[in-house]
Amino acid sequence: MITRRDLVRAVSRERRVADWVVSERVQELAIVDELRGLVRRETRTRLGLVLHVDSALGRGTARVAIDATEGTASTVVLRALSLATAAVGPTWKSVPPAAPARVDVIDPALVKTNLEEAAHAIVKFNRDGATVRSRGTVLREQVEIQAKSGFREAWAASELRVDALVIAGERSLELVREARKLGDLIDAQRSDSMPQAVTTALTDLRSLESAGATPRATGSDELDLVLATDAMLHGDGLGVWNVFAVQADAALERQGLTRYRIGAPIVPGATQVAEPLTISSDGAIDHALRSAPVGEEGDAIRKFVLVDRGVSAGLALTMREAALRGRDPNGGIRNLVIGPGLWDGAPVRRTIEIRRLRALSIDRYTGNASLEIALAFDDGKAFTGGTVRLDLIAALSRARRKVADKQQVLRRGAYIGPPAVLIERVELLS
Amino acid sequence: MNRRELLGGLGVASASTLLWALGCSGTQKPTSVVAEAVADRDSVRTWLREAVSRLRAVFPTVHALAVERLRSTAASDVLGTGLAHARRDGVVLVVRDEAGLWREQVSSDLTRQGVANAVRALVGTSRKTVSIDFGPVPPASEVPRSFTDGELRNRVEAITRKRVDSRVVYGVSLLDIEDTWVFSIAPGRDLEHRARRVRQSVIRAAWNGPRPVVGSVERGWVGKLVDPRALGESDAERATEFALEMMTPAPFPDGRHTVLLDPSVTASLVDAGVRALLTTAAARRPEVQRGIAIGGTVASPLLTVIDDPTTRGSYGSFTFDDEGELAAPLTLIDKGRLTGVLGDRVGGGRGRGLRAGHVGAVEPSPSHLRVVAGPTPHGDLRDDGFLIEGALGAIVDPGTTRVVIAAARARVIKGGKPTGHVFPDVELVGDLGLLFGSVTGVSSDSERFDLRDERDGEPRWRSVEAPWLRIPLGDAKQPGVVRARQQAGLK
Repeated sequence: MITRRDLVRAVSRERRVADWVVSERVQELAIVDELRGLVRRETRTRLGLVLHVDSALGRGTARVAIDATEGTASTVVLRALSLATAAVGPTWKSVPPAAPARVDVIDPALVKTNLEEAAHAIVKFNRDGATVRSRGTVLREQVEIQAKSGFREAWAASELRVDALVIAGERSLELVREARKLGDLIDAQRSDSMPQAVTTALTDLRSLESAGATPRATGSDELDLVLATDAMLHGDGLGVWNVFAVQADAALERQGLTRYRIGAPIVPGATQVAEPLTISSDGAIDHALRSAPVGEEGDAIRKFVLVDRGVSAGLALTMREAALRGRDPNGGIRNLVIGPGLWDGAPVRRTIEIRRLRALSIDRYTGNASLEIALAFDDGKAFTGGTVRLDLIAALSRARRKVADKQQVLRRGAYIGPPAVLIERVELLS
Repeated sequence: MNRRELLGGLGVASASTLLWALGCSGTQKPTSVVAEAVADRDSVRTWLREAVSRLRAVFPTVHALAVERLRSTAASDVLGTGLAHARRDGVVLVVRDEAGLWREQVSSDLTRQGVANAVRALVGTSRKTVSIDFGPVPPASEVPRSFTDGELRNRVEAITRKRVDSRVVYGVSLLDIEDTWVFSIAPGRDLEHRARRVRQSVIRAAWNGPRPVVGSVERGWVGKLVDPRALGESDAERATEFALEMMTPAPFPDGRHTVLLDPSVTASLVDAGVRALLTTAAARRPEVQRGIAIGGTVASPLLTVIDDPTTRGSYGSFTFDDEGELAAPLTLIDKGRLTGVLGDRVGGGRGRGLRAGHVGAVEPSPSHLRVVAGPTPHGDLRDDGFLIEGALGAIVDPGTTRVVIAAARARVIKGGKPTGHVFPDVELVGDLGLLFGSVTGVSSDSERFDLRDERDGEPRWRSVEAPWLRIPLGDAKQPGVVRARQQAGLK
């Protein structure tokens, strides 16, 4: 059985290795699935090795994921060496390690608790009589990262997820919530907990019962659009804001495939709107979903600004990208923090509020998006169906962001920001 | 331009399937044999049988599944070849107690101690065993032939050795080999199977105005490393043609045209529809249950859809599912009438309980879907309208059965012949039931598509064999529209 220690010893012996990072994740997982009447427990150990080899031609890198427990560490290292030597690219030097971020990523209530009991707790939340079938997943892991430079960091982390099917009459809605803390999911007082999500889902299901067909398609001068929280964050939890994460990819930017360059407005006129957009990435927020003390290669995780008042300001820099640019790494895109807005929620012209989407697809090169409507309201009348096409970057750069109730921003998963946005002058297709 | 970065920027591969082929000048290492499976067949069988004996003493229903998975991937472009190997073992012990609750204990430690620890997690300190008749030990499966890194490299470089058109910005060929060795043991049943899944693809990218266009050809099979389906230079040329094809600059005329769906679009539609609507898991939703009644008419009488895991050599085939049920074909739609759904044991069905990577959570899934071919060659199905080609993905909303299928191209057809006009990036939007119900022609020729995706980091394999389908979107039912995918314009 290969252990982290064996791997470190084996790679340390290899003089050809210019730099290395070994990571180990010891994971325990518990799943309680009400839908299937199933309890699942899983234990796994995942080892990772990143290895760099320097030659006259440049630097080669190999990344090896090791799941199996048979074989020897020496064999793994030799194989990784072979891979790295065959994959040589431009020369770059490893950046000296920096201090890890001081961040908590484990729920204190889950440090020693029985995970199966915790999984039961997150499916037995208060449903107020609603028919809900859910699956709860609780992960607890011990992570350790060790590098050739002597850097070493260990931490414990927790992740919880609930997948729920809310049923009312002849209709149903699927919900997903993720968090690091049990309380964030099951505390009914919290605005984005599962009990609150179920209440919202039931309201939407009742609206769907009486929903009509898509209203007439319009010319774009007539219509404003409000993306409510569930529509705005559809899919993986970042929803429409993913478009900025893609544009901040340093590799894409280098080859000229992004829409904008550092220092330039993200779209013409983005700096002159009433509420210029500011977005930052922050991996050091306690108990936020994408927080961590260090990255997978021991790279530092730092808060950085992607868009500053409408101007492109920063890129996600891995170790390699940072070294090639002579900059410090920042750990890549982590939790997205969207700057607050001033919109009070009052409509200006005919406004369609989209509560839920069926599908959201975003073209990664152009930022164009297609939003398929599941539930929306036009002058208070519910309807279902229809498509909205947006140049997301332009739309969000000019969007008005809703002031959050009681001056508290919405915090869901890896998103921290306003609960809704208003986009002016869009076209609705039937 | 850095090739790795371009690949990532083009989004043509996931981290699990494409390697960063960075350079070509590294010293060639002596070839080495790819690691053989380490577990001993008899040992694994003994551990699992012992586990089942101990579990059966406590629980009325018991099943043990073990898997060893080796994956080798090679990617080659004009500047070099990269290789990667990964190994994933696992054991899944499943029990059902007298109250009817299912419990699973999963471990990545496929050793005697690992299996014993998993048993202990379920039975606690109990040391009781019962004597069980497992039936005969199955004959040993044929061991896939081993291959060296050098052979892997040669196979993947064979396609890229030919000079690529200078207008092509980037080209890469990929070879992905997954060897799985699965044991399934329960009282009265001892099953074992080894399979080699091979997937090969060639990708070419070229600029078309402000954005890159990707042309790709991909095939997969189960069997030996060499297969009639393996890609050759003609396939690389086809991928290049797709990437370089001149597109009509005029805007696409959105509307209810008559469309002829090429097999990739048909496959995408059928695959998405079956997974969204024709499984016992999907039937948990009241909207799906209401619309899906066995015996009801759900499609045109021209359509018959079968899920057949026994199709020899197909990428999604298997000998037994991950609940130990032997593979058998299942007709889902028979001449337009619904006759079956895919089910696993927990969902009240049988024979399609599949786990991602053989270790993930079980869910009912298709294996090898086949749309039975019709009587007419696809050339004779052309009507004035559009030939929709190059599926890019389909989304089905199970609540409403609305479907959106993205496609790379729409060719204008007039008088039964292509006019030469080709529009890029279109989508077909409509109701899945009405679309299937409006089919007026099914071709006699079909193509097969081999699909691999991942769930929670574990692979799922399936394949679809599909013909051309003709659908008049403007008929009385008005099943859908075809329209451009690009933005309508934000003013």
